[in-house]
Amino acid sequence: MQRIIDSILSNKDVLVFIILLLFSLYLLVDSNHYHQSKLNNLSNNFVKGVFKESSYIKEYFNLKNENKKLVEENLNLKNIFYSSQEILNDSILISQKYFFSSAKIISNNFSFSKNYLMIDKGTKHGIKKEMGVASKNGIIGIIVDVTENYSSVMSILNINSKINAKINNSLHFGTLEWIGTNPNILNLNDVPKIANVKIGDSIVTGGMSTIFPENINIGVVFKIDSISASNYYKIKVKLTNDMTSARNVYVINNKHKKEMESLKFFSN
Amino acid sequence: MNTLNINIIIRFFLLVLVQGLVFNKFDLFGIYDPYVSLVFVLVFPIKINRILFLIISFFFGLTLDYFTNSLGVNAAAFTIIAFIKPYIMSFVFGNFYNPHGVKMIKHYIMESTIYQKILYILLIILIHHFVMFSLESFAIDQLAIIIKKTIYNSFLSLIFCFTFIYLLVQNER
Repeated sequence: MQRIIDSILSNKDVLVFIILLLFSLYLLVDSNHYHQSKLNNLSNNFVKGVFKESSYIKEYFNLKNENKKLVEENLNLKNIFYSSQEILNDSILISQKYFFSSAKIISNNFSFSKNYLMIDKGTKHGIKKEMGVASKNGIIGIIVDVTENYSSVMSILNINSKINAKINNSLHFGTLEWIGTNPNILNLNDVPKIANVKIGDSIVTGGMSTIFPENINIGVVFKIDSISASNYYKIKVKLTNDMTSARNVYVINNKHKKEMESLKFFSN
Repeated sequence: MNTLNINIIIRFFLLVLVQGLVFNKFDLFGIYDPYVSLVFVLVFPIKINRILFLIISFFFGLTLDYFTNSLGVNAAAFTIIAFIKPYIMSFVFGNFYNPHGVKMIKHYIMESTIYQKILYILLIILIHHFVMFSLESFAIDQLAIIIKKTIYNSFLSLIFCFTFIYLLVQNER
């Protein structure tokens, strides 16, 4: 200990120099906007590059499973396509509202209370803020921030996320929220007690928002709490989509979003 | 308070004001300003404690930064030249340099050859300008521009600093 103190004391002018230099560099970065953004950019690019590399490696090990899933999905889509070809040829194409583009999750979180994902598509690929993200099994989240090549997605496992959802057979809708504990269970609030809900009912997106189209799977009813003092149920929903292992996702682009929002503005 | 301390305080404020109000608006060919404020470090007494010198230089740079609204650039550059000034002095004045001896900074400057004077001033100016311009642009890909700017600006600063020091030392005698 004595030696450490001695060596510090004998080099005290170097120490003062380093402290002053660091302080002035701190001032430089802290008070000048240009330097700050430059530094932010540098560290962001670095972190995103690392994430991408690590996701490449993980992907390689999951290749088999992913292939299987893709084949299944292809079959499904083919079924839908051939069974509805006549309608497709008719007028749907002209009035098609939702466009899908594929993306890959390169970093995923479910351990915090505010979880964000990162996907490998950005403004270059036509991604904009507030587009929906879904996988084959269910919804994943909403895009909150976009850079040139990447975007970050607010996961449905985020205590700030609120999603309009409905019960498939009764058409009563509520707000889907996460309380921040179990990554498989979400709460569906504000469903009125008139609704006829049973355990095992499926929950789908409600179509009341401009982000998600109607009838995308979310989960099944897992537990129903009815509090006598309230007019609403508290429903626990088990996700069909395993958020902890999602990889290939779709970004949903609503072509009519602007139009719809302009109307909403007037009605408000 | 002895005359040495009063001298330092007067130089501090005089050079900050001259640099901030006059020479920052010099703008030769649009961009080049002579940094006369470097005289403060160039003729800073060598008898004063090194840590105190570092701290004073830091605040000198910081005060200059408030004039150009680039907080931290000059503070860092002045701290660096204050730190390496003893090494440069022992390099330029060779074996004769002894901070604990009887000689004062003006003796070193007056009694050296013209080459030593220019080398001493130029080295400190070059280092200061290089640090300052690279912190200002903050980008490695502009290195060529930084070096070009450093060299041109250094010659301008050299002429002005040389004249200033000559006047200061002349007046002290």
